[in-house]
Amino acid sequence: MTTPRSGAERAPRATAGDRLRRLLAIIPWIAEHDGPSVTDVCRRFGLTRSQLLADLQVVFLVGLHPFTPDELIDVVIDGDRVWITLNPGAFDRPLQLTPEQGLGLVAAGSTLLAVEGSDAGGPLARGLHKLEALLGIDAGEALAVAPGPVRRELIELLREAVARQHLVELDYYAYGRDQRTVRTVDPRRLFAEGGQWYLDAWCHLAGDERLFRLDRMQTARALDEPVTPRGGDRAADGRGVFHPRGSDPRITLELEPDAAWVIDQYVVEAVEALDGGRLRVRLAVSAVPWLERLLLRLGPDATVVAADPPLDAGVASRAAQRVLARYRSPLPSS
Amino acid sequence: MSAAKLERLLNLTAALLETTQPLTAEEIRARVPGYPAELTAFRRAFERDKDDLRDMGIPLRLERSKAGTRDQDAYRIPKDEYYLRDPGFEPDELAALHLAAQVVRLEGANEALWKLGGDPSGPGGDPSGLVAELPLDGRLTAVFAGLAARHVLRFRYPAGPAREPAERQLEPHRLDFQRGRWYVSGHDRDRDAPRSFRVDRMGSDVEVLPDEFPKPARPHPGVSLQPWDLGREAVTEARLLVDGDQAAWTVQYLGADAVVEHRGDGSVELRVPVADVDAFRSFVLTFLDHAEVLGPPELRAAVVDWLEQRAQA
Repeated sequence: MTTPRSGAERAPRATAGDRLRRLLAIIPWIAEHDGPSVTDVCRRFGLTRSQLLADLQVVFLVGLHPFTPDELIDVVIDGDRVWITLNPGAFDRPLQLTPEQGLGLVAAGSTLLAVEGSDAGGPLARGLHKLEALLGIDAGEALAVAPGPVRRELIELLREAVARQHLVELDYYAYGRDQRTVRTVDPRRLFAEGGQWYLDAWCHLAGDERLFRLDRMQTARALDEPVTPRGGDRAADGRGVFHPRGSDPRITLELEPDAAWVIDQYVVEAVEALDGGRLRVRLAVSAVPWLERLLLRLGPDATVVAADPPLDAGVASRAAQRVLARYRSPLPSS
Repeated sequence: MSAAKLERLLNLTAALLETTQPLTAEEIRARVPGYPAELTAFRRAFERDKDDLRDMGIPLRLERSKAGTRDQDAYRIPKDEYYLRDPGFEPDELAALHLAAQVVRLEGANEALWKLGGDPSGPGGDPSGLVAELPLDGRLTAVFAGLAARHVLRFRYPAGPAREPAERQLEPHRLDFQRGRWYVSGHDRDRDAPRSFRVDRMGSDVEVLPDEFPKPARPHPGVSLQPWDLGREAVTEARLLVDGDQAAWTVQYLGADAVVEHRGDGSVELRVPVADVDAFRSFVLTFLDHAEVLGPPELRAAVVDWLEQRAQA
């Protein structure tokens, strides 16, 4: 892990290296277990029987100069069981973790710990702690993974509802439309993407598949009623969280340099750099409240230069008046 | 890929691990079976094999051999760098890590478990299909390598939107995954100050330099993503009232510590330290008419003033 090296451009290849990497993990594992079954080895390391046997054929042939087979590694296959005897010190431990493997496992463990709660005495927290010690990083100080804000009781309720396939009643705030509704859904899958948790579900109110952000759920209630299977399985796999519909109106804005954050925070369909650090961007308008927010936030830093279909020119000023009305009414007392 | 190549790589690894003296290319050619006899073909095959071993994470060391009559390049694999220390996992700890690797999809996690001896069929997949995918690429693994070994990173980074990237050197202290992105924080050697960087903005070539740095005296607090935290203005404490429909997610977003009180009508009053008034106003306006700044009066007046200008536009 201390070698200077660069990242990024190494493309995945299925090579001798891939087989060797796996083999260097398989050899010490078999040696440590007293004649495991070939089936068990295949299952653990994700191999077919013929792949494993082909790889073990190679192990038979490994040796040191002057060449004496079996001296370093001895392999015995008898029926469904396999034994490996190692010369002391040779391949008896797996190769150390690469940074990619270490980070992958630490990040996975930290993420699940964030979801399930940090029971310091639990097996996940203990395992993670040992892993961090192995990698030489300070627990809790050097790595923090927040897959998305989590209300633990909510995620537990939804996990259980997905597993049992029971209906869920959601009191949900649809941010884009600025509407709160109560709806019944068939829960299908929970996932985190882009720093938020989502429930992928069939919505009875919309009569269609919908994604619901967990942080926008006021409440969720598991109902006793099981989900009625629907013909045609979900189409949502691999679907991005936000994807503009072709029918959404499009607007083109010119942004002052101070408003460049828009291209980070919004899904922008086209960007063009103009003179003086200004940008021209095109965005899909998913709902009117969405556009009101954007224009109110940007104020003089954005100019609408095109809209398809043409835009109601008063949209921002009417939204501003609506918000002002709130400020002009007496302050609510606590 | 041929079995012959696999066999040769395995023999090469064994020879370099078990040798007491570093081996020259000539010695490797004589001792490791499976190389072409012709010299140019041998050199080509050996170069490829070295790359393959390094790609796998095998610590191949280049040293000088004084064994022969002349000083020349020689190779070995130090055992203490090759072998994984036994972390002493209990079976339930391995099973828990295995479940985590199934729930959270990241390249690398499953291969790590081969080495650590986890049983993939242990607890079974998560029945709710809970899944989180975290982005991972070569830049991130290079950052992590530097972090774990306390080595300085060198990379190119844009100084601002639409600005040309410039070279930076960072002592990496901490990695954060927030709002769907990875950030690395640490001591910026060029600015001689703490800085945070977005990993996905770094240039593709992130180098881990040989220079080591000492363990930081204090842990880095990590990246702050609230834009109103990041300003250079004197900090004022804003009080914000948010309607009931938006209360739950706002509290999650700002943290339970920010809550002043939950009111009877479901709305919530929060306190927010603000060091950048423009950024805070921008955040408040995302609530449209579902929230208002209660105080301090200057901040409330600034929001009203902004809205009046927009109302006249």
